Amino acid sequence: MTADIHSLVGAYALDALDDLERAAFERHLRDCSDCRSDADEFRKTASRLADGAWSVPPPRLRDSVLAQISNTRQLAPSSPDPVPARIGRIDQPRRVRLITAAAAVVAAMAAGTAVYAVQDRRVRQEQSIAEAAQDSEARIRAILAAPDLTLREQPLTSGGRVTVAVSRLRNAGVIMLAADDAPARGRIYQLWTIRSETPTSAKALTEGESTAVQIVEGLPGASAVGVTVEPAPGSTTPTTPLDALVTLT
Amino acid sequence: MAERHPGSRPHLAPVTDPDPPPAIDTLLAAVARSDREAFTRLYDLVAPRVYGLVRRVLRDAGHAEDVAQEVMVEVWRAAARFDPARGSATGWILTIAHRRAVDRVRSEQAAADRTVRVGAASVDTAYDVVADEAATRQEVRDVRRCLDALTDLQREAITLAYYQGRSYPQVAELLGAPVPTVKTRMRDGLIRLRDCLSTAVTA
Repeated sequence: MTADIHSLVGAYALDALDDLERAAFERHLRDCSDCRSDADEFRKTASRLADGAWSVPPPRLRDSVLAQISNTRQLAPSSPDPVPARIGRIDQPRRVRLITAAAAVVAAMAAGTAVYAVQDRRVRQEQSIAEAAQDSEARIRAILAAPDLTLREQPLTSGGRVTVAVSRLRNAGVIMLAADDAPARGRIYQLWTIRSETPTSAKALTEGESTAVQIVEGLPGASAVGVTVEPAPGSTTPTTPLDALVTLT
Repeated sequence: MAERHPGSRPHLAPVTDPDPPPAIDTLLAAVARSDREAFTRLYDLVAPRVYGLVRRVLRDAGHAEDVAQEVMVEVWRAAARFDPARGSATGWILTIAHRRAVDRVRSEQAAADRTVRVGAASVDTAYDVVADEAATRQEVRDVRRCLDALTDLQREAITLAYYQGRSYPQVAELLGAPVPTVKTRMRDGLIRLRDCLSTAVTA
């Protein structure tokens, strides 16, 4: 994404992008009709790889599917406001994982291209967390929509990943933490920005939390973002080894 | 697919779309108008491909059934969003299926990778599975032949992503190649694959 978003078209067609990159790429597709026809072409080629995969499903699958569609409302022909689009609008008992919610913000701008991109199976986060993000939604949206957005991602040693989106134009960034599990009782995840080798806390999660979306103003001035597991309710300086380090320079 | 009689199509037709075009597109259009009967017929035609693909990516029959169900319900739900100008109905359905399978495999991997480091051994398995089923079908032979025509890195990058649901940074790590290179190989590999498949003819 940093250099040339279009170079991602192959990876996109193979579904080899993560949620955020995929959403950003689809936003790019909306504005670029040549890229769209390229992407369609690549997808068509990729689908040929499925040619040999043919397997008779168990008969009960048919019954379950037919039963389920009789309770499933169909979408209207493409409307500019696709399904899960906005963080704040969770009108189904769907639980949105926060990082996915952030991806949804980007996808909302892809207006219609990302219907199934962001709705989810992987969705297991509490609604309350999504609601907490609602306040920041506009700002997050502005940052993630920046044309110079760069994304960097690192796995967490403890399982999961942290994604850092930075825009120099907006002079801000968003840290998205998606750990597989919350730390053990009495411990929490804490996010740090590192400037001139000095870590500053960007956010201390509360006990039991495993995901966060945190806006950091001035993030382009930092050299790195770190994640540690600290004793609750958080530390003033990291006391444990880094769980992940995302270098920004 | 479904009709599984590749030989019944005109000889020497370009193999850009191996499916009998009208049936599935027409059915999907009817499904978009809430025609349940059409959906049932569509299900019978595409479910084996959907299930087959999902199962190949997931390698777990239980999960595959679960994901295949999601995919078919999504086909029902989003049918009106299908845009024929952008590709075939089958392609659209397989795109949904692949994406859902990848989403699932990634969340499974997240758990598995914590305990088991991904070994280079997995590199070998991705490609071989291309040929293991239905190997007599011409389309499959074309795909196999065209994959063979790629460079090793192009082929491995594409098959690890497509059949194992690996992200491009994961592929780079597995192959010990720089991330930008992998990105590029996926792209130029697909171009080569497309060109090769478009010149293939059904015998």
